[in-house]
Amino acid sequence: MTVEIPKSLAELPVGEPRWVGRRVRRTEDAALLTGRVEFIDDVQLPGMLHCAILRSPFAHARITSIDVSAALALDGVAAVVTGADARAWANPPRSAPEGWGALCIAAEKASFVGEPVAAVAATSRYVAEDALELIEVDYEPLDVVEDPFAAMQPDSELVHEDQGTNVMMQRVFTWGEVDAALAGAAHTFTERFRWNRLGANPTETYGCVCEWDPMSLDIVVRGAMQSPSSFALGRAATFGLASNKVRVVGHAHGGSFGGKGNARGTDIACMLSRKAGGRPVKWIEDRSEYMTAGASQAWDRHYEATLTTDAEGVVTALVVKLVDDIGASGDGFGAISAAKPLTAFTGPYTIPVARYDLTLVATNKVPASPYRGMGPPPHFFVLEQMMDIAARGLAIDPAEMRRRNFIPADRFPYTIPSGNEYDSGSYERVLDEALDLAGYEQLRKDQAAARAEGRLVGIGVASAIEPGVFDWNAYAIVGMPQTGVPEGATVGVDITGSITVRVGFSHEGQGQPTLVSQLVAEYFAVEMDAVRVVHLDTASAPPSFGPGGSRLGVAITGAVLGACERVRDKMATVVAAIMHCDAGDVELRDGRFRVAGRPEVDMTVAQVAGTMLARSDLLPEGMDPLPEATYVWTAPGRTPADEEGRAKSYLTAAQAVHVVVVEIDAETGVVEIVRYCLVDDCGTRLNPVVVEGQTDGSVAQGIGAALYEEYVYGDEAQPLTASFMDYLMPTINEVPAIEKREVVTPSPVSPLGAKGCGEGAMHTTPAAVMCAVNDALAPLGVMAREVPAAPNRVWNLLRSAGTQR
Amino acid sequence: MSEHTVEVTVNGVAYTATVDARTTLVDFLRAELGLTGTHVGCEHGVCGVCTVLVDGKATRSCLMLAVQADGLRITTVEGLAEAEGLHPIQEAFAEEHGLQCGFCTPGFLMATHELLEANPDPGDDEIRDVLGGQLCRCTGYQSILRSVHLAASKTRAQRAADAHA
Amino acid sequence: MKPAPLDYAAPETLAEAVALLADASREAKVIAGGQSLMPMLNMRLARPELLVDLRRVDGLDHIREEHGAIRIGAMTSKREVEQSPLVRERLPLLHAATLHVGHPQIRSRGTVGGSMAQADPAAEYPCVAVALGATMRVVGPGGERTIPAADFFVTYLTTALEEDEILVEVSFPVPAPGTGWSFTEISRRHGDFALAGAAITVALDGAGTVADSAIVLFGVGPGPVRAHAAEARIRGGRPGDELYREAGAAVAAALTDPPADVHADSEYRRHLAATMTTRGLAEAVQRT
Repeated sequence: MTVEIPKSLAELPVGEPRWVGRRVRRTEDAALLTGRVEFIDDVQLPGMLHCAILRSPFAHARITSIDVSAALALDGVAAVVTGADARAWANPPRSAPEGWGALCIAAEKASFVGEPVAAVAATSRYVAEDALELIEVDYEPLDVVEDPFAAMQPDSELVHEDQGTNVMMQRVFTWGEVDAALAGAAHTFTERFRWNRLGANPTETYGCVCEWDPMSLDIVVRGAMQSPSSFALGRAATFGLASNKVRVVGHAHGGSFGGKGNARGTDIACMLSRKAGGRPVKWIEDRSEYMTAGASQAWDRHYEATLTTDAEGVVTALVVKLVDDIGASGDGFGAISAAKPLTAFTGPYTIPVARYDLTLVATNKVPASPYRGMGPPPHFFVLEQMMDIAARGLAIDPAEMRRRNFIPADRFPYTIPSGNEYDSGSYERVLDEALDLAGYEQLRKDQAAARAEGRLVGIGVASAIEPGVFDWNAYAIVGMPQTGVPEGATVGVDITGSITVRVGFSHEGQGQPTLVSQLVAEYFAVEMDAVRVVHLDTASAPPSFGPGGSRLGVAITGAVLGACERVRDKMATVVAAIMHCDAGDVELRDGRFRVAGRPEVDMTVAQVAGTMLARSDLLPEGMDPLPEATYVWTAPGRTPADEEGRAKSYLTAAQAVHVVVVEIDAETGVVEIVRYCLVDDCGTRLNPVVVEGQTDGSVAQGIGAALYEEYVYGDEAQPLTASFMDYLMPTINEVPAIEKREVVTPSPVSPLGAKGCGEGAMHTTPAAVMCAVNDALAPLGVMAREVPAAPNRVWNLLRSAGTQR
Repeated sequence: MSEHTVEVTVNGVAYTATVDARTTLVDFLRAELGLTGTHVGCEHGVCGVCTVLVDGKATRSCLMLAVQADGLRITTVEGLAEAEGLHPIQEAFAEEHGLQCGFCTPGFLMATHELLEANPDPGDDEIRDVLGGQLCRCTGYQSILRSVHLAASKTRAQRAADAHA
Repeated sequence: MKPAPLDYAAPETLAEAVALLADASREAKVIAGGQSLMPMLNMRLARPELLVDLRRVDGLDHIREEHGAIRIGAMTSKREVEQSPLVRERLPLLHAATLHVGHPQIRSRGTVGGSMAQADPAAEYPCVAVALGATMRVVGPGGERTIPAADFFVTYLTTALEEDEILVEVSFPVPAPGTGWSFTEISRRHGDFALAGAAITVALDGAGTVADSAIVLFGVGPGPVRAHAAEARIRGGRPGDELYREAGAAVAAALTDPPADVHADSEYRRHLAATMTTRGLAEAVQRT
């Protein structure tokens, strides 16, 4: 039976919406604010052991021998595992691209500093760490593969000998007549850029409590992962078990941003449990483990880009060449970040043809992972710098440059050269609002005055797309075969009329539990706190992925509304049977079932549910008495990718314009953000408070990316940024006041017209800040091509420009 | 193992416990006393997730041994509010969406508590000075700043009401 | 990230504390506020067998003025220093520097003595101690001695303290009335260790030229670096931008091989030291 998901608030079965689209306080906050939410490290189980992991001090070394006897003999130690156990019990994990996965414990050689070499389960983490010091490992150091360009040379040392190369993938994607466009261009601009490694660093690291029953071989994993269902499938594949032998209990967790969920550590804890007779084993990834060996690092990129325009500054082609240093293996799935730019390759612009020359390289660094935005943020950093380079070259104002190239509002749905279809947008209006908010004309006047005084003031105007509602088909080029990402919800009304919603995702911070309550309360016209939301494990939940790729808000809206529709349909059938009318005439409105012209037909949702469960005498034979329904939503109209990777992939395309003012200290190179203004359009805002929170948070992460955050490797690929002393995330002092406005252009294709907004400003902020930095530097004839624009780097530029006093 | 007896008052409750000398205060609070509202974020004193009040002062509980707390008074997030309901600071954070994942939040609440005890009308600069020692990866701090201002006004109103009564 | 096994003692007298340190059978280390030591313990980068906590020892927590000096007990927290009206009035340079040390949550436990004994070359307090000509009062098995700050900081994380000695008090001479001062630093984020910084005092003579100065840098060497050449260069000079720039240039020329790390290379640190000197001098002269 097909279900029509409401595409706008007006289609909900109520008069004036009370909850959806309103500034609603979150239902999850009281427990969080009082310390009552059970995070994974709060879990205590009877007989539980604690795991600590011994890690390689070498980036590349053969393990010639390992002796764990002294560790095993230590009081309190219950089990020890090494690479030999991993070889016996585990397969190499799935990876992207396929075939580049590494065993959870290095069996023959270590391929990055921090790779697990052995692990201990003991009565406490303290004792487990003591035991690690008693394990003796002999290493034979190998040549270290540090640089991706050297790694591509045929004589390079190999990270994966069995592959015969360090090149994980090399392909050129051409969309349209690129060569002709390049040949016929009035102006051609080419530049190189460097985006350094950075990553998610949620305040809670990953953790898990694992039980592997040695008799049944059933596995239970409690953990703080972003996607419990994917995690469960991964464990089943790694251990060669049927998927229903693994049950994952996803816990409320302290943020993820794509960078959380350590499969290696989980598999290790599982193996320790099996060795310890099935006792639960807790592994809490500590911060240094997270930073040197966790899902902490993304986007280690070397770019070369060419952008061509006609005589008027209309862009005619975009060519991007990317060498992405993926690190020691593909099981962190960092490679999908290199594929995701296909979803919005040409940004908000009408660029008609494009080429993507993509090389993924293995080196002896931490395997790359996803991070908020998943790849487009560096891509848009490059694209927006190129737009500014072209604008400067053609003496066009940067705002005007964008205006000339924006996809006009009347051309949606709009298919971009790399295949995705944008649903809707009002790009020029967003720009106008942003320029108005910032007082752009005055800003330029102030800048001219500042420049006359010798000050380095810059204004960045940047725009980007936030692809929303991720789809696996976007990553087909790195080996993901699926189309669609199902998300389910079960809505049930009990005998007294109370409503419970059962979902498969866990609390992560973006307010989806509240959203579920908003939707159901609206649909059935009850108070929000009357709706109970229950988070289920993977053995009980309907199909679910959870948050990721700006999807869950939209996807869960579809799932919940679909389930509500089904419950309504079932109830309408019951009402029709009791009242002897046609089910098609029964209407749910403001929580009551009525029939036009039959005033005696007036039943509440609770009455219908009570009838279904407690008045079988009234129900016709064969009628389903369960006032409950499950609906699994998946984005409509998606298409499998073609040979060139083109697909209708991410369902929605949000857009934003940011206007940033910076001032650079001409003596020290320190960049200060003086003003931050943005206008965004992510369609219907289901809970504006939450949308604004996502925007603010992603601006902060974008500022971190542009100015502060970087994982640095030293000689022999030794990590030099292994603590928060050196990996610099913005504090409240580094994030300025953010001035915001919104434009709302609903999506015509999504539930309630909402667009994905969870990754938000991360797409635009790094680009905008760097545009501002380069605008400040422009009079000196130098350009910041490397992110982050740390003061030492900027000072080097100033010095090269000869402005040093 | 080097065992020591510790007498410590946590959230108004006196505890006597035997601890290994190397046990950090945060591990003691969480594992021994079951007060898991205080979280662990970095264990090297930068993130501030584990901030508690020690004799009224916001302190990193990962940078203190449990034995060092002998004789001291500690307040954790569990001790902020009455058994039911929220403390005005918690209320303010809920109203202003001052939290997302909520993992860092207990630390922010405790640091804010110390700040407002000393000055119930802080300016942005003073708030930024204190909260600069607390990392949040979700909110971008905008809503936290608003939350603290709102908490301050609630605190002032409370004090005015108390003074009146 | 958990400390290795260790023992702990909290003696009530200095004599007991010194005896514990002097006992050669176990490697002992003093813990004051622990804000530098605890991360090292958690990471197992420091692994003493015994921690000697000074928290119960009387007489180590005070700020008072005596004989033209502000005497600060080693166990006095930086928060107490920050909030002390006496320090603010009499040692404004120390007050200003304190605001740059970490964050209030760190300053609440971090102590004056701890920062001095830790001797981190990028830390604020050792630099201020040298700039103000402080003296360190230390107690060991043989009794008490005082060490001028200039001699106290030996090199990277190393002081003149013997292993069985305890720093008990830091005495800061109150600068003569009219002495200008400044504290400037550049760090990646507010509260981070400095990439480079300068603590400066300057006194002008009746003619308005520089009579005396102390220019001490941090973050650019193995410990506080006194810029003797720059001080000499400006002595007798007429304050002004040119003089300040010359002082900066003298600093840059005299610095040998400033340390490099992920945040700043050696050349950049040299340049920042010069810039902080130039800016700091201007600020200090304004305050004369």
